[in-house]
Amino acid sequence: MSAPLTPEQAWQPLPASAWDASAARHLLRRAGWAARPAEVDRAVSEGLPATLERLFPSTPPPFPRPVFMVKAEERLVEVRAKKRAAATPEERRVVDRDERELERLASIEFSLKWLQAAADPARGAYEKWLLCLADVYVVAFEKVRRAEYHYVHRDLLRTLGTGPAPVLTKAISRSPAMIDYLDLSRSSKRAPNENFARELFELFVLGEGHYTETDIKQAARAFAGYRHGRDGFRLDPRAADTGSKTVFGRTGPWTGDEVIDLAYAQPAAATFLPREMARFYLTQTPPPPEFFAPLGATWRTSGFELRTLCHAFFGSTVFYHPDHRANYIKSPVHYLLGLVQDLGLDLLPLPRTTLQPLRQMGQNLLEPPNVRGWVGGRLWINSSTLAARRQLARTLCTPLDEDTLNADERLELTAARDAGRARFTVDDDRIRDLASLGARGVADRLCDFFLPVGVPPAYRAAVVDYLQTGAPGEFEERVRRATIALLQSPEYQLC
Amino acid sequence: MLLPSTRREFLRHSTRGIGLLAFSRFAPRFLVQSSLAAPAPEKDRRILVLVQLAGGNDGLNTVVPFDDPAYHALRPTLALKQNAVLTVSDHLGLHPACAPLHALLKEGRLGIVQNVGYPNPNRSHFRSTEIWETASDADASLPSGWIGRYLDNACAGAPASSDPDAIHISAEVPQSFGGALPHATFGLALGAARASRTETPLLERLAGREDPVADSNHAFLRATLMDTLVAEKNIQRILDAAKPAAPYPAGNFAQALRNVSALVAAGLPTRVYFVSLGGFDTHANQANAHANLLRQLSEGLAAFQADLTARRLDDQVLTMTFSEFGRRPVENESRGTDHGTAAPLFVMGHRIAGPLHGAPPDLRVEKNADIRFGTDFRSVYATVLDRWLETPADAILGARHERLGFLA
Repeated sequence: MSAPLTPEQAWQPLPASAWDASAARHLLRRAGWAARPAEVDRAVSEGLPATLERLFPSTPPPFPRPVFMVKAEERLVEVRAKKRAAATPEERRVVDRDERELERLASIEFSLKWLQAAADPARGAYEKWLLCLADVYVVAFEKVRRAEYHYVHRDLLRTLGTGPAPVLTKAISRSPAMIDYLDLSRSSKRAPNENFARELFELFVLGEGHYTETDIKQAARAFAGYRHGRDGFRLDPRAADTGSKTVFGRTGPWTGDEVIDLAYAQPAAATFLPREMARFYLTQTPPPPEFFAPLGATWRTSGFELRTLCHAFFGSTVFYHPDHRANYIKSPVHYLLGLVQDLGLDLLPLPRTTLQPLRQMGQNLLEPPNVRGWVGGRLWINSSTLAARRQLARTLCTPLDEDTLNADERLELTAARDAGRARFTVDDDRIRDLASLGARGVADRLCDFFLPVGVPPAYRAAVVDYLQTGAPGEFEERVRRATIALLQSPEYQLC
Repeated sequence: MLLPSTRREFLRHSTRGIGLLAFSRFAPRFLVQSSLAAPAPEKDRRILVLVQLAGGNDGLNTVVPFDDPAYHALRPTLALKQNAVLTVSDHLGLHPACAPLHALLKEGRLGIVQNVGYPNPNRSHFRSTEIWETASDADASLPSGWIGRYLDNACAGAPASSDPDAIHISAEVPQSFGGALPHATFGLALGAARASRTETPLLERLAGREDPVADSNHAFLRATLMDTLVAEKNIQRILDAAKPAAPYPAGNFAQALRNVSALVAAGLPTRVYFVSLGGFDTHANQANAHANLLRQLSEGLAAFQADLTARRLDDQVLTMTFSEFGRRPVENESRGTDHGTAAPLFVMGHRIAGPLHGAPPDLRVEKNADIRFGTDFRSVYATVLDRWLETPADAILGARHERLGFLA
């Protein structure tokens, strides 16, 4: 083990001399999903600052509403009109059902289209950053059963995810999904609901121990009357509380936005999100907040600009420290999208082969388990989730048996092919190309390109030995199986 | 005896036996037992085999209401005539491809639960499968599957073991298996019966290496993976050595059932098996495709039952089929049928009371409308949970559902 870094050393930019292929692979796997050889070469030749500029650009990559969601919204307008006109409970029930069904289909489409976008190596890092932010500003479909709200929520994270954090947090406090998820819609001057104010301090800005129960009670009053409707956000004047509040020792007729500014003025704000980032990207057991003070100071000076934070975090010395190499357990989303990228595939656009495996691996995309989001780390791994990971590797490395697909699935595949996405699984040609490298070449390719861990010679020898066993006509099949085994290995679960 | 009779034999047979055990935290139950004596399968095991007919089976052409004029009006080209079907009652007959099932029916080993479905049916494959597998209401969603909740209940407090609680032979892990607690579930690849034909031998060597790793997450992943591989190795050994006691037809579906029988015979503590037969989404030119599917189903199930009977294990196994939905009563313009609602399902075992359960569907439907279900699928589950698996069905299903008489 190398000597531990002091906080000052830790957050110094990585010296240019330390930027090599191994560092580039580490960055690409941790900030994104995979380290494809061409991307590694490009990152090394461009240098770290230019690479970060590319991974975390000033203009976020767009993600327009999927066509199906637009259509579903149009249908929903009709359905809701029908619902208002429904004369009998029976009629209402039928309309309710249509509504739920449309929302469900739209949420599936949203998840699939997002996964498709996130699988693009050019935007993987930013999409993963959104997943990190969504793990802070948590909302769940189970409680907020409106796909459109989830789209809007994610879109706020997307468009504001490069700018000042207070701007993002204020926008999130007006997000319909958040207003419903944390019960702001039921909060009024007479009965302020503390749910949002508590999570604002505890989970979005400061962390536990940096506020009092009084701060929460007083802050909750500032968010009373936050509502959303067809015309967007509004503050209901009858439910709002314009009276004087005392938050963090400061007294005034604070609005919700002003309370958020007061929270960011607290010292703990500078280190809270950086530490959450460390938990998401670096280690399950991040060091105490003090360790993040130098990074926090840089961030605060920038006006809490999130892009500055990303560049400083992923450009730091500590991010590349040997203690943080190849020892983080991939989340199910990371495992799926890492496979898709490592294998050079297009995401199979079927719920059964994407969303269902994610759920079996423990990550139901729009359903984080609670307000804290996913715990991750070793909790991702047990015999059932490992079985699901192994099955996914097998599925993606085996030619698709289209005879077993149902008619809906065939339509989805046709649509994806028409859109130029056709490589859903590893086909025989790819295996033949790989096999042409010979046993040793195949073993090196698999170990060097897929595994984040440097493996001992005996490991490679085991792969070579496996490839060389068996009848000559069997070699390509063995190459396929060896590929699957490497992708199922303990080493490939790490990044 | 299919099991290794001693611990040493097990070790000798595994490629890297020592490594395998050194990295596994729990010796599988069978291994602990077999080091003392060859385990005899428990006498009173109750095993459930679920057979998924993926795609939506056409119930009306499976259990045929041959004398109903409405049926013939709805199905101008697809209807089966009285002289073609295998008579079950004065009004119903099985599809001619179901002769082996018909024989089981006459022997009291097969039952038909008619017109099974649920209120407010959903016609999406994905969603309706989810409803069946989680046993939820159509307008609710449950995070866990009905088998997973059964395992939550049955395995709570049981000693940790790497033996699988449930095994599936299908490309995906069934949603039914998901529980609130993690369970040792295990998937066998379709058509890959022999261990040597999968990637597993290499994975065992990679994960079972004895060189220490410094990182604890790495070590944790190795140990957890070795646990699952120990279970898998055991299973593959059983399958490689298995000799069925009755002949099975060719094809993946029958071979999957052959594997289930081998595992049951080997005395695994596994309580639930899941096997899938796909291709039932017969939107066009249905007649031949459906006949072939029903033939595979019938021949496979009959071979399985004959094998279990010859091994005297038939009193330990109950088999039931399910499909996400039935199909539209009226045939479409392509001589096929579109997504529908309720359909019959089969239950098979050594003693099934009565051939028919529940009422048949009323086919007097409006143009292009669906039949209305008669028996809630959760009644079938409740009956199986209560009278076969002997667990508190209502708690697992979250509501009280009527029990049916097929296990009386």
